[in-house]
Amino acid sequence: MAKSAAMINAPRKDRKFTWKEIKRQKVLLIIALAVFVYGIVFYYLPLFGWATAFIQYKPKGGIFGSAYIGFDKFKFLFTNENIGFWRVMRNTFCMGALNLITSTFMAVFFAILLNEIKPTIIKKPIQTVSYLPHFLSWIIVVGILHSALSSTGIVNDVLIKLGVVDQAINFFAFPEYFWGIVAFANVWKETGWNAIIYLSAITSIDPTLYEAASIDGAGRWAKIKYITLPGIKPTFMILLLINVGNVLNAGFEVQYLLGNGLVKKVSETIDIFVLKWGISQNDFSLGTAAGIFKSAISILLIVLCNAWAKHAGEERLF
Amino acid sequence: MKKLVALLLVLAMALACLTACGKSEEPAAETTPATTESKPAETATNDTKPAETAAPAPAADTTEEAAPAVEETPAEVTNFTMFITMPGNEINSDNEIADMIAQKWGVKVKETWLTGQTASEATGTILASGQYPDFIDSDEMNMLVDADALIALDDYIDQYPEFRDTWFTPDEWEKFRQPDGHIYWINPFGNTMGKSKATTHNDEAFWIQVRVLEWAGYPQIKTMDQYFDVLERYMAANPTMDDGTPNMAYTILCEDWRYFCLENAGQFLAGYPNDGSVIVNKETMTIEDYNTSADTKAYFKKLNEEYQKGFVDPESFTQTYDEYIAKLSTGRVLGMVDQWWDFAYTVNDVFKTQGLDLKGCNYVPLGLTTTEGMINRWHTYDDTVNQASGIAITTSCADPDKAFKFIVDCAMDQELHDLRYWGVKGVDYEVDADGLFYRTDAQRQQWADTSYQAAHRCQYTYFPQWHGTSRDGKNANKPEEQPSEFQNDMAEPLVKCFAAYGAGNYPDMIGSIQETNGPWFPMYSYSNNFTTETPGGLAWALMGETKHEWLPKVVMAPDFEATWADYMNVYNACNPQDFLAEMQAILDTFK
Repeated sequence: MAKSAAMINAPRKDRKFTWKEIKRQKVLLIIALAVFVYGIVFYYLPLFGWATAFIQYKPKGGIFGSAYIGFDKFKFLFTNENIGFWRVMRNTFCMGALNLITSTFMAVFFAILLNEIKPTIIKKPIQTVSYLPHFLSWIIVVGILHSALSSTGIVNDVLIKLGVVDQAINFFAFPEYFWGIVAFANVWKETGWNAIIYLSAITSIDPTLYEAASIDGAGRWAKIKYITLPGIKPTFMILLLINVGNVLNAGFEVQYLLGNGLVKKVSETIDIFVLKWGISQNDFSLGTAAGIFKSAISILLIVLCNAWAKHAGEERLF
Repeated sequence: MKKLVALLLVLAMALACLTACGKSEEPAAETTPATTESKPAETATNDTKPAETAAPAPAADTTEEAAPAVEETPAEVTNFTMFITMPGNEINSDNEIADMIAQKWGVKVKETWLTGQTASEATGTILASGQYPDFIDSDEMNMLVDADALIALDDYIDQYPEFRDTWFTPDEWEKFRQPDGHIYWINPFGNTMGKSKATTHNDEAFWIQVRVLEWAGYPQIKTMDQYFDVLERYMAANPTMDDGTPNMAYTILCEDWRYFCLENAGQFLAGYPNDGSVIVNKETMTIEDYNTSADTKAYFKKLNEEYQKGFVDPESFTQTYDEYIAKLSTGRVLGMVDQWWDFAYTVNDVFKTQGLDLKGCNYVPLGLTTTEGMINRWHTYDDTVNQASGIAITTSCADPDKAFKFIVDCAMDQELHDLRYWGVKGVDYEVDADGLFYRTDAQRQQWADTSYQAAHRCQYTYFPQWHGTSRDGKNANKPEEQPSEFQNDMAEPLVKCFAAYGAGNYPDMIGSIQETNGPWFPMYSYSNNFTTETPGGLAWALMGETKHEWLPKVVMAPDFEATWADYMNVYNACNPQDFLAEMQAILDTFK
């Protein structure tokens, strides 16, 4: 008995890397290998296409048949003021950050509220209804937004009837509203879905903590503040780190579908930029260069945040 | 037991999937060698046996069969796919006329249309995928040629001398020749057979509803001031329609490439034809930029004034094309600038089914100019050959010979043409004692019905087609050009309006000068093919970006002059002179 316990508790590094060991774990290894191959094929091989950014790519010649131009495309990207790459970067970053902050905050807020509802018969339907919008495609959400915010839409109707404004506001004509509309759309669509993971984190908190707190005279508010919030902090940190890497994936569909000439200055994201110059203007190399730059920034962001988390002694990715 | 059944079902599904995959792969595999190597088709026409046996067996066989021009009842139906970078309505897969065409001419084409994307995005995506449709008509032909996605048509064209000589003149064919010396596409539009029977103004114009003109007593409207004056007075007297829907004086479509409805009226107001991207001064043979001209500025100043007065739809610059069409279809919009083909086919059909045509909601074109008494060139009388795009066969097509033969059939076979545009005799139209085609009211109504169109009507609109008089010498090639049809199809308010202005048809109504355009016309067919690799092409792309953003601002600005000045600064920063210089170089080749 004691012997077997010792074996289980033996630290991993004591295990020898032997053929016997490999044989013993062959099923696991095969499974891991499949995932590894998947990763290579679908994540690393396509990176070969990055070569496109350093040549004047012509579909006819392919990657090997096109002329090498070095960093010309990057230079053009960073220095030509007319194509507005920095503006696009700013839009992407701001919208991404805004989305991250609002959606994380709303998800935590909603999860806690939902957790405070005790009767399952009320709680479950609310939860289901709240995450349904996640399954709608953006084109539908945008359609709803477009009609809700149009001059004859429900929002303007309500505003006029309440006397807040005396004339319908054309929301999509004002650049200052655009980021807000996008953030709102994101919150509306994703809050319920994002809350699921926080709800499960809350569920995993030891109920005896709450009981003990009750005995000590803690009210709802105190329990949220001293038990629930600290309890979901590790989950929160990990999700935050993952999402920081996604900040530059601020979206494509919403901005593409909601944008128009008047709000172009604030609506275009990197993905739209890549589509416009890479696909529409047929300059694949420029599009690829923009995409590479975006990836580089994302990696930088995630490394920085992780270093910060490490420094602050929080939960971290690597 | 249950488990066993489930297992069987799963197996069946897996098998079905596998076979389906197998099927779709087969023709694809055949495709590439067949198309790239069967180019010496010339030899196949003259000799009974192909001189070169390099082409794989299936391709060679069809070459032999399809080459002789006349062929009765083809043994089998070939299914082709086609992508068109324009929005359109897909027809049902069991469409009746499509099946009739398939039976007689052995070809059935599945057309897919642009949805949601722009033309260049769609083309770029198709290219990136490497899987092309058999036929393609794109606004970005140069991208396809660059990628070697199209097959050269020169040899095929020479196989059908009759088609070659009737469809285009040698000069026109030359315009389609690309820098590498080949012709890759054929424009299917703008050809008139025999006497012109044009009744519609298939171009751009300031449109106005006939009820407005009727109310105002059919005044002469020659300038933008007069135009908006009538609209304003009508709005004051009739704020709503009969059913209470509020009227809207003027709306502007501004979505993506369709912003020509806002952008290029300046060139027409200045009395120039639709060269699109620039204006050509014929006397000095120089390219001029209409974006900065006084006429254009005056046009935007007027729009700005009307916007401030509240007569321009405040949603103009944020609406999508669908929303715009929906708006027009309610009949509440009194006027706008647009191309006939961009709205009329959909909107007029709706007016007809909703009875709005009887209330005078139909639009008539006005040939406005900056000042009264100027010559206007809104309507183009002679055929416009746009060599920038047309129907092409891609390298993915397994049987280019048959595909090309169908293009020729569409142009050369009157029976096929009548079936496409008139429909089935006895069902969609009748023939009177003199051999003239006519339709009853019920047939006309049915023809305008969208579900009937999907189930029955098959026009293959992006295959070659004719205007003018049919080969029988009596009928028009298209129903809307048949004088009796044109008259009978018009609701009473429209008839009264034409009578009041003494116009027989839409071109009369707009009253443009009849003249021949220069061989360079239209210049947009050159600028459409510019790429960002040249300074001019880059400038052209940036100019478009700038105009998309600033023109709406200019119209909405409380202070027009200041905003216009800002706009001009940004515009000039795009280096438009690079673009103009490249356009000038093209124009110089016609000197």
